[in-house]
Amino acid sequence: MKLKRNFVAATMLAGTMAALSFMSAGAAQAQGALVMYCGVQEEWCRAMTTAFERETGIKVSMTRKSAGEVFAQIKAEAANPRADIWWGGTGDPHMQAAEEGLTLEYKSPKMGELQDWAVRQWEQSKNRTVGIYSGALGFGYNTELAKSNNIGEPKCWADLLKAELKDEVQVADPNSSGTAYTLLATIVQLMGEDKGFEYLKALHKNINQYTKSGAAPAKAMALGETTAGIAFMHDIVTMVVDKAPVKVVAPCEGTGYEIGSMSIIKGAKNLENAQKFYDWALTADAQKIGAEAKSYQVPSNKSTPVPPQAPKLSDIKLITFDFAKYGSSEERKRLLSKWDNEVKNLPK
Amino acid sequence: MSRATLGLIVLGWVGFALLPWYGFDRNASLEFSDYVIGGSALAHGLRGAWWLLPVLAPLLMALRPVIFPSSSNGTWLAASGFVGLALIILEGFSIGLNGWTLDALKSFVSDPGPSQTGVGYGAALTSASFLIILCHGLAARGWCRGDAFVTSSIGVVIALIVVFVFFPVSTILASAFADNSGNFAPSEFIVKFLDRSIWGLDCLWGDLRCGVAWNTLFLGLLVGVGTTALGLAFALIATRTDFRFKKVLRVMSVLPIITPPFVIGLALILIFGRSGALSAVLWEWFGVPRSRWIYGLPGVFIAQLLAFTPIAFLVLIGVVQGISPTLEEASQTLRAKSWTTFWTVTLPLMRPGLANAFLLGFVESLADFGNPLVLGGNYEVLSTKIFFAVVGAQQDQGRAAVLSIILLAFTLGAFWLQHAWLGKKVYTTVTGKGDAGIPLPLPRRVALASYFTAVPWAVFTLGVYAIILVGAFVRSMGRDYTLTLEHFLTAFRVESTGAGLYFSGSAWDSFFATMKVAALSAPLTAAIGLLTAYLLTRQRFSGQRAFEFGTLLSFAIPGTVVGVSYILAFNVPPIEITGTGFILVMCFVFRNMPVGVRSGIATLSQIDKSLDEASLTLGARSATTMRRVVLPLLRPAIVASLVYSFVRAMTAVSAVIFLVTAEYNMATTYIVGRVEAGEFGLAIAYSTVLIVVMLFAIVAIQLAVGERRLGRRSASAAPSPVAVQAIP
Amino acid sequence: MNQATSISTLARPTAFKKPAASVEFRNVTKRYGAVTAVDSVSFTIPPGQLVTLLGPSGCGKTTTLRMIAGLEMASSGQILIGGRDVTNLSAADRDVSMVFQSYALFPHMSVLENVAYGPSVQGVPKKDAYGMAMEKLELIGLKGLEKRAPSELSGGQQQRVAVARALVLEPQVLLFDEPLSNLDAKLRRRVREDIRELQQSLNLTVAYVTHDQEEALAVSDHIIVMSNARIAQTGAPRELYEEPANLFVADFIGDANIISGELVSVAGPTAQVRIGNVSLQLPHRGASQGAVKLAVRPDAILLDEGTASTGALAGAVRKASYLGTQVEYDVESSIGDLFVVQFGRKEPVAPGTPVAISFVTNRGVAIIPDA
Repeated sequence: MKLKRNFVAATMLAGTMAALSFMSAGAAQAQGALVMYCGVQEEWCRAMTTAFERETGIKVSMTRKSAGEVFAQIKAEAANPRADIWWGGTGDPHMQAAEEGLTLEYKSPKMGELQDWAVRQWEQSKNRTVGIYSGALGFGYNTELAKSNNIGEPKCWADLLKAELKDEVQVADPNSSGTAYTLLATIVQLMGEDKGFEYLKALHKNINQYTKSGAAPAKAMALGETTAGIAFMHDIVTMVVDKAPVKVVAPCEGTGYEIGSMSIIKGAKNLENAQKFYDWALTADAQKIGAEAKSYQVPSNKSTPVPPQAPKLSDIKLITFDFAKYGSSEERKRLLSKWDNEVKNLPK
Repeated sequence: MSRATLGLIVLGWVGFALLPWYGFDRNASLEFSDYVIGGSALAHGLRGAWWLLPVLAPLLMALRPVIFPSSSNGTWLAASGFVGLALIILEGFSIGLNGWTLDALKSFVSDPGPSQTGVGYGAALTSASFLIILCHGLAARGWCRGDAFVTSSIGVVIALIVVFVFFPVSTILASAFADNSGNFAPSEFIVKFLDRSIWGLDCLWGDLRCGVAWNTLFLGLLVGVGTTALGLAFALIATRTDFRFKKVLRVMSVLPIITPPFVIGLALILIFGRSGALSAVLWEWFGVPRSRWIYGLPGVFIAQLLAFTPIAFLVLIGVVQGISPTLEEASQTLRAKSWTTFWTVTLPLMRPGLANAFLLGFVESLADFGNPLVLGGNYEVLSTKIFFAVVGAQQDQGRAAVLSIILLAFTLGAFWLQHAWLGKKVYTTVTGKGDAGIPLPLPRRVALASYFTAVPWAVFTLGVYAIILVGAFVRSMGRDYTLTLEHFLTAFRVESTGAGLYFSGSAWDSFFATMKVAALSAPLTAAIGLLTAYLLTRQRFSGQRAFEFGTLLSFAIPGTVVGVSYILAFNVPPIEITGTGFILVMCFVFRNMPVGVRSGIATLSQIDKSLDEASLTLGARSATTMRRVVLPLLRPAIVASLVYSFVRAMTAVSAVIFLVTAEYNMATTYIVGRVEAGEFGLAIAYSTVLIVVMLFAIVAIQLAVGERRLGRRSASAAPSPVAVQAIP
Repeated sequence: MNQATSISTLARPTAFKKPAASVEFRNVTKRYGAVTAVDSVSFTIPPGQLVTLLGPSGCGKTTTLRMIAGLEMASSGQILIGGRDVTNLSAADRDVSMVFQSYALFPHMSVLENVAYGPSVQGVPKKDAYGMAMEKLELIGLKGLEKRAPSELSGGQQQRVAVARALVLEPQVLLFDEPLSNLDAKLRRRVREDIRELQQSLNLTVAYVTHDQEEALAVSDHIIVMSNARIAQTGAPRELYEEPANLFVADFIGDANIISGELVSVAGPTAQVRIGNVSLQLPHRGASQGAVKLAVRPDAILLDEGTASTGALAGAVRKASYLGTQVEYDVESSIGDLFVVQFGRKEPVAPGTPVAISFVTNRGVAIIPDA
C-alpha cells in the first residue's frame, strides 16, 4: 500500500532519470575529436566533414547553422565553449567574434597560398579569422517577367531605380541579414554616405518587400514572385544552375563582396585538431569541394580551380571594401539606425 | 514512517555515498570505480572537496525519525530536506568551473578558489530525495490534507519549473537591463522599450507602418478569434451531427498541426503567390491581375489559421462532449427553442473551453516564427524581430530581451483576461449522478453556420496538402513538374551492404534523433502537464496563482529566447547539460506543457470534485484516485497533450536552433537548412515523411489511451458509439 | 508516520466485524482566509449511534462532516476517531466512508465496479472484491443491476448504489451528506427508514448532514443543531423539540409559537409563569424572575369553541386548513397570532369563531433559557 503512495511521482522521477542517463550517455560517447560549427549550405558542410575524416581519421561532429546563429551561440557558450572550429559563413560575425575576443589567433603555414583579400581579412582581424571564399554582391532578374514587363536588361545599380520596376525589386532587411548589410555598406562606400542614402531612398520606392533572409530574393526571383532581386551572386547562380529563368548581373558601377571566413574558437577543447582542420581547409583540394557541392563562391587558395559557373571575380568591378570599419559594431549600429529612420520608415 | 519515506532516505544516501556526484568529462575513459563509490560525494569530500561534507548533516538528520520515531517526525524530515537542498544549491552555485563565482567571495576568501564541474547522477538523486523528503515531512505536518502524494507532486513540479523555466528565463530577461558589455544599464532598457518601431501608430493616419507590438497584438487577436470559431465549428460537427464525412473532416482538421514549419507557408505561396497556381488561373481565365497580397498580414493570418485551428479543435471537442445533455434538455423543457438553448445554455457552458482555445490560439500566434518568416513580407511581428535581434546583423541580445518582455506581457495579459472572464462560475457538467439525457441536435442555424465554415476550410486544407504532396514528387514545384523520387532518395536512401542495412540518406541522422527526442518528451510532457492541471484544479495551496503563472511562462516566451536562455543557464555548472539530448527533451517538455495544463484544466473543471472525494473516502490515495478515477475521465485531455507534445517535438524550430548538436540534430533544423538553400523539393519530401510518421503516431496514441466512457447515450442514430472519438 | 495501523486492517477483507468507533471533536475550528466556517466546535458521537448535523445552509454542518472524512483539514483543534487522533491524517488513511449528496458514482464504471472500488484499491483481489460488492448489493436490494452503468439507474437506485459503495469496506464511521435531497417525498421516507434500519442492524456509527428537521427528528439518536459556525444545541430529538435551548433552535426545529410571559416565582425545579391571564407551572430551566420567552408547539395549544373562562385566553380563529390527519389554525389572541395544530377527526372550527385558548403543560411548552 505504502509504496503506491508515490507511484506516479516515482514513475515521473524514474522517467526523468532514465531520460537523463540515456541522453547524456549518448552525448558523452559521441563527442568526436573535432567539433565544428559550419556556416554554409548543408551539402557543402557534409562534404567537407566527410573529406576531412577520410583524410585524417579525425571524427568530426558538425552542426550547421547560419552565421548569425553560430555567432549568437558562441557568445552564449563563451563561459564553457562547446565547439572547436567555426568554418564558413559571411565574414562580419567572424570579425565581430574576433573583436569580442571569442576566437583565437592562428597563423597557418598555408597563408602564402591565399589570395590577397583572404590575407587582408586575416590581418584586419588581428590574425583571428581568415578568408576561405568570397562572393560578390549583385542582382538578378527573372527573364520571363522582365520580358512581359518590358524592363529590358538592367546592368547597373542605377537601372534598379527605373519606374518600370516599381514594386518589383526585392532585397533583405539589413537588420536581419548580413547580405543586405553588405549592400548598405557597399552603396555607402561606392557613392559616399549622403548620395548613398539618396540612392537607397529612391530604391525604397521600387522595393516590394524587405525579406528576412539574405538569399530569399534569389528564391523569389526563381519562383517568379519578384522581377528583380539583390543578393550574393553565387546564391543567384544556384538558382540558374537549377534551371530557373534567372539572369545574374554584376553591376556596372562596381560592387562589394563578402569574405566567407574561418576561426578557431577560444577555449577549444581539441585545439590541435582544430588547427589541423584549419590548415587543411585552406588547401586547394579542400576548397575544390565547394563547387562539387553546388556552391559557387570564389575560393581563397590561388591554385583552387574556380568553378566555371561561378561569377568570375576578374569580370566584376570590385570596390575596396573596408571590412575593419564597416564590420565594427559601432559603425554598424549607426548605419542600421540611420537606415531604419531615413529609409525604412519612408512612405512608398 | 512510511516505507516510501524510508526508501527516499536510502536513495539520498545512495546518491551521496555510491553514485558519481559529478558529471563525467566527455573525453575521459572511465573505469568501474568511477561509477560506484569512487566518484561519490563522500569520496570527493574525503579527498579534499570539503564543501560537499556538510551535506552529511541533513542526511543524518533524516535518520533520526527512522531510529527514534516520534510525533515530531514530520518536522525532522522537513528540516532535513530543506537544509539538504539549501546546502546543495549553495555549494553548487558558489563554486563554478573556474573557482568562486561571486567576485565578493573571490576577494574575501581566496582567488580563484576551488573548482567543480556540473552535477552528475549522484547529485541529481540526492537533491531529488531531499526535495521529496521535505514534502513528506510537510505532509506529515498536515499540509495538503496530509497527502504526501500531493505535497510531493507540488514540490516536484515547482522544482522542475524553477529549474527549467524560471532559472533560464530570468538569466536572459536580466540582459534587458544590461548594455552590450553586460553592465547594468536601466536607461538602456527605457530607450529600447520606447522605440518608435515598437509602439508607433503611424499606420492609422498615413502610409507608414505601425509598431511591431501593435502588429503582433492585432494578428494574435485575429488568429485567436478565427481559430476558436473554426475549432468550434469542427467540434460541433464532429460531436453533434450525423455529417457523413466526419472522419475525413477530423483528419483534415488535424493535418496542419502535424505539418513541419515553413511547409504551409511554402504551399500558400505556391497557390496564392504572384505566380502561384490559383493566381495563374484567375489571371488567365478572369483577368484578375496577379498581386502579392499573400505577403503580409493576410498570408500570415491564413497560415496561422491553418496551423492552429487543430489546437482549438482538440481543446473544444473534449468540452463539447462533456456538456451534460440534461442541462440542454432542462432548457428545452422550459420552452426554450433549440436556438435559444444553444445560445443561452450550451454556448455559455463551453466558456472554459472557448476561453482556453482562444488563449492558446492567441499565444501560439504570438510565438509563431516560421509563418511570419516566410509570409510576413513587410508586416513585422515580435517573434521574428526577436530572432533577428539575436542572430541578425544587429547582434543585440538586450533588444531581444526587451521585445521578449513585451511579448510576455501580452501573453500574461491574455491569461489574466481569461481568468477575469471566466470568473468564479462553476462549469461542472460531468457529475457523479448518471446523466440520462440525449445530446441535443444542433439548431439548424448553428449547423449550417458550422458546415459553411468548416467544409470550405477543410476543402482548402485539402488543396494545400495536395500541393505539398505533389511538391514532394516533382523535380521543382512551380517550374518543372517531372515526376521524380530523387528527393526521397537523397534524404532517405537505404543501402544494403554486406554488414547489413546502411542508412546513407542525408536525413536519417536527424530523423532518428527527432524520433527519439519526441518519443521521450511526449509522455513526460503529458504527465507533468496533467499532474499540474490536477494540482491547480483539485488542490488548494498557497501560491497557487504564482504556480499557474510559472507554468505558462515558458510557453509565453518566444522559442529563440528560450533557446538562448537555455544555453546561458545550462552550459556551466552546476547544471551542465548543453549538447545532450536531455536538454532538448526538457526544452520541449516545458515549452509544450502548458497545452497539457490548459486542456487538463478545461476537462477537469467539468468533472465533479466529489468523484475524487468519494474515491479518497473509500481509502484510495491521491495517486490511486488519479489513476483509477481522474485519468479515465481525462482521456480526451491525455490524447490532446500527448499528440500535441509529440508533434511539437517533431515540428518546433525556433527554440531548438541553438540546442541542436551534431548528434542531436533535429528534423526541423535540417528542413530549415534545405529551405534556406532553396531546395524546396527536398524540404517538402522530408516534411511529407514526417507527416506520415506523425499520423501513425497519433493513431497509435489514440488506440493506446482509448475512449472515455461516460455511459451516456449517443445523439446520432448511428449504431457506432466509437465514432465519437475515432481520431482526435 | 504513526498511521500505518489502520491501513493494514483496512487492507484485509472483512473477515471479522470491527466494533463501531466514536467520533470526537475538540475545539475544532476551520477558517478559509478571513471566513470562519466552523468556530471552536466540540462534540462526541458515541459508537453505534446515528447523529445528525442539522442547520440552515451555510451554518458549517457540511464542513464539519468533511472534516470528519478528512476532505477538509481543521485549522485548529483535535479530531479523534475511535480514540485515535486523526487531525492530520488524509482521507484515505481514515476508516470513514461517505455518501455524497450527488452520489458521486464513477460514470466510467459499472454498478459492480463502483461498489467494488473500495476493496479493490485496498489490494483485495478482484474476485473477492466483486464478492464483497455483490454481498452489499444484495443487502441493499440491487442484485441483478450490477452490470448497468450508473446513468441507467433511477435516482433512488443510484442512491442505494452510493450507500452500498460506502458500506462495502464496513467502515468505523459512515457519513451521509444530505443523501435524500435528490429524491421525491415518498422515496425519501422509505430510504431514510432503510438507512436507519441498516445503521441499527450493522451497529454503525453514522454522521448525517441534513437541513430538513423532520428528516433529522425521524432518524437520529442525537441531533447537533448548528448555526453560524457554532453548535446551537445538542440533544435527543425529543429534547430539542420539547426543550429548545434558544430561540434559534426553538424556531428551527419544528414549528413553534414564541410568546412572551412573565416568570413570577421559582419553587424547586418549577417556576410559575404568567401568560396574559393564564398561569402555568413549568420547569424553570435556569431562568430567573422577570420577562421570559416561551416556545409553544402548535399541538400544545388547545382550542375550545366558546368564550374563554378562567385559565384560558380569549381568541378567534382567522383561518383553518384541513390536512387530512390534522387541522391547522391561525388564531388571533391577546398575546399575538398563534399557529395551532389539532389532530383527530374533529369538525374544523369555522373561521371567525371565538375560542378559548389553553395550554398542555406537560409537554410542548418550555421556557427558552437563552432568550
